[in-house]
Amino acid sequence: MEFLNPAAFSLLFLLPLLIIPYLIKKEPRRVIFSSLLFLPGSPPASRPWGRLYLPPLFFLQLLLLLLLILALAEPVFSVRLLKVAIVLDNSASMQALEGGKSRFEIARDKAAEIIGSLSARGRVDLYTTAPRLERSAAGLEPGEALKLLGRLTPYDLGESQVDYGTGLSRLAKENSYERLFFLTDHEVRGQGQVIRAVLVGRPKDNLAVTSFRLVRPSFGSSQLAARVEVTSFSSRAEKVRLSLKGDGKVLSSRTLTVAPLRSVSASIDGLPFHEAYEAELEARDGLSLDNRRFAVAPPAIGLEILGISPRPEALSSLRSIPGVRLRVISPEDYEKDRGARHSLEIFHFSFPALLPEKPALFVLPPKKNPLAAAGDALTGPQISAWREPHPLTRYVNFALFRLSYARSLKPLSPGDKIIESPQGPLAVAWENEGPRYLVLGFDPFPYLGRENLPVSIFTLNFLGWFQEGTDGSGAATGKPLNLGSARAEGTAVVTPRGERFPVRPGARLFPRTYFQGLYQIVRGEEKGIVAVNFQDIKESDLHNSVAINLPGQERGSASPSLFFSLWPYLLLASLLLLILEWFWNAPIARTVQRDYRRAESGL
Amino acid sequence: MLPLPFTPDFLGRLEALRLRTRKEFLGSRTGTYSSPRRGTSLEFADYRRYAPGDDLRYLDWGIYARSDRLYVKLFREEMDLFAYIFIDASGSMAFPSAATKFSPACHIALAFAYVVLANHDHVRVHLLKDGSPAAASPFYRGRHKILELIHFLSAPSPGGAFDLAAVLGEHLKRIRRPGKAILLSDFLMPSSSYQRGLNLLRAFNLDISVIQVLGREEIAPPFPRGGVRVVDSESAQELSLHWGADLRREYEQRLERHNRELKSFCHQAGIDFSLFVTDQEIGEFVLETLPRIGLFR
Repeated sequence: MEFLNPAAFSLLFLLPLLIIPYLIKKEPRRVIFSSLLFLPGSPPASRPWGRLYLPPLFFLQLLLLLLLILALAEPVFSVRLLKVAIVLDNSASMQALEGGKSRFEIARDKAAEIIGSLSARGRVDLYTTAPRLERSAAGLEPGEALKLLGRLTPYDLGESQVDYGTGLSRLAKENSYERLFFLTDHEVRGQGQVIRAVLVGRPKDNLAVTSFRLVRPSFGSSQLAARVEVTSFSSRAEKVRLSLKGDGKVLSSRTLTVAPLRSVSASIDGLPFHEAYEAELEARDGLSLDNRRFAVAPPAIGLEILGISPRPEALSSLRSIPGVRLRVISPEDYEKDRGARHSLEIFHFSFPALLPEKPALFVLPPKKNPLAAAGDALTGPQISAWREPHPLTRYVNFALFRLSYARSLKPLSPGDKIIESPQGPLAVAWENEGPRYLVLGFDPFPYLGRENLPVSIFTLNFLGWFQEGTDGSGAATGKPLNLGSARAEGTAVVTPRGERFPVRPGARLFPRTYFQGLYQIVRGEEKGIVAVNFQDIKESDLHNSVAINLPGQERGSASPSLFFSLWPYLLLASLLLLILEWFWNAPIARTVQRDYRRAESGL
Repeated sequence: MLPLPFTPDFLGRLEALRLRTRKEFLGSRTGTYSSPRRGTSLEFADYRRYAPGDDLRYLDWGIYARSDRLYVKLFREEMDLFAYIFIDASGSMAFPSAATKFSPACHIALAFAYVVLANHDHVRVHLLKDGSPAAASPFYRGRHKILELIHFLSAPSPGGAFDLAAVLGEHLKRIRRPGKAILLSDFLMPSSSYQRGLNLLRAFNLDISVIQVLGREEIAPPFPRGGVRVVDSESAQELSLHWGADLRREYEQRLERHNRELKSFCHQAGIDFSLFVTDQEIGEFVLETLPRIGLFR
């Protein structure tokens, strides 16, 4: 027998209170009798409480209360348990330590206990939740399930965006599980007969490196600067040491004080060049995974630009900027030249067949393009609004931002309108997903270096903005790695754990970014490094984990005889006893009262 | 208006009864109760229904021819029986109420009286009560006097306490002729008290029959379990008890011992004894139990 609500047994501590009314000494009742001749008298009691006498009615009441408490505890019988599912939460927060063991290890041990309690005929399906709720193995015997359980590990991934209540209920119903155990560190609301949640872990203080970027002070600078942000998910102020490492060596360290639930930023300048960098917090907090973050140095000193223009000389003014290297090709040659090592593509009066994989600037693109349709031609457009604060509009005096020619833009996908005119936007930027794009309804390059300072500043701003986009901060775990045009044979990806995954020709994405660290993309003799970092603030916040609701669980297609719920019958028995007690007690009370009245009337 | 037990059928059955006396010689003037042959002037007095054992010579064949019923003629010398019925009217006879104990005792007394009256004998009822002048009815004779007796018994209400011998003594002062004495009481008194009283009755050469009247509540007191303060219905004395199974057992043993002693004393003294519990049927007690112990014939 099991109890769905064992907390009800705490009411057993109230049972001794039943005796109190029977202990209280009542004023002796005065009755008249024919003669005292044969009544043996006794001296009056001096103690304030009476002798404890427990009539049969007391035991009836006790039985009634015991049955009610048992009913509230919701006992159920599980006749047989042959088919169970174990869903193991293997998200990043399960790596948090609880007294020397990680939550995942504790969950694994509990899952092992559950599997160990099954009979030899029991069968186990194992599920994990990251990167998505999926089955790892089905129909395992208990021994096999235990072995597989030992090989499971948590990933450096956040929770998948799934409604667990609906998902687990559907799993239970479709697969006719007699019991589904969900082991997680999230609070689960709602238990039922089929789906049982097992909670591992308690709220904990935690710190995390939430941002790590490498920037060059200028295009031509050989040195790098690191911008690190540390966020506290702790209930108290924390003093912590931040170390910056390059290729494994400590380059610099800082001591930071972080207020509770706040972030603090640190800048470290003058970093020498290394292939890869790591920012690490020396802290004993809840989760060590987010105390580290990786970044890769920007690909080259300066800004390598590929210009695609039918008029090669139109972009030549860019060469006057120190640190900028420009190579211009015609639009027809673009498809052949996509493998070059440039970090920015400028499409001048042109647009590629497919959106570029690298950051790109589109200057007066053709009318029909997937980003922004070009509108009417404008002569001497006025600037009516601009986005502020924004890196693109920094230090620009738009009152003096005079253009001789422009075309208004109509964004075809959601983007940031950077500069607007009464006729429509003149500059729209996209930077949230994938590479950064900027579409301009005007050509800034003729003004570069000439006496139109605001436009020049704007040009420098967007060059710097594009360069920031290649700050080497890397991708997020769980997001596929963009391999570019990995058409060559022999391309492979090596994970931080040393696992090598060959990439089949034509594949452009590598999905198995389950772990944080530096991934190597091997293309023949060439090797590229990409930093992949764990980026999920919700997982880092170990105090306020998102609760999971398991509403309205269905019994599934399991036969009704498997689980037998006793509590309605116990409740019915309690009610019948209550009625019996009323009928039993009422006649006794009436008899005593009648005799008392008779005795009184005799005098 | 006759009380409830006294239905026409019940009265008819009472008429067939006769009080049995232990003593052949009751000290009457003209003869004995049991010898109808003595005397020469047999004066017809009344009829009564034939009972087995009656002399067939005294059957009235005329009535039989008319009504198909057998009646015997009664002559005055046969009715010369004086019956004295003593009823305890102390406070204990009102527990739990007069209607449940004193009234049944009065009904038994009335049944006795009707038997005597139906046999054209003399009967007088004495109420035993302390403090008031000895309350006794006049002698009644004849069936029609039953209504006066009922009226006599309907007035008093029991109360107070008394010493049996003392109260009986007051009543016995008015007795001139020996006869049959029937004492109805609960006998909830010390044994010395009832022994003195009964001995006093014996000293007056009375043929004594005793009927102990007890209520069911006196045999099995319905006290609530736990602390209880009991008040005596006669003396108003109080006694504190912790009522339970042990105490109940002890009370029952004491009561049983007392009743046993009473019965034994009566047996040794040649006194007829019977016990009436008020939840019994009066008719059954009078018509079956009392003849069975020899009070009637």
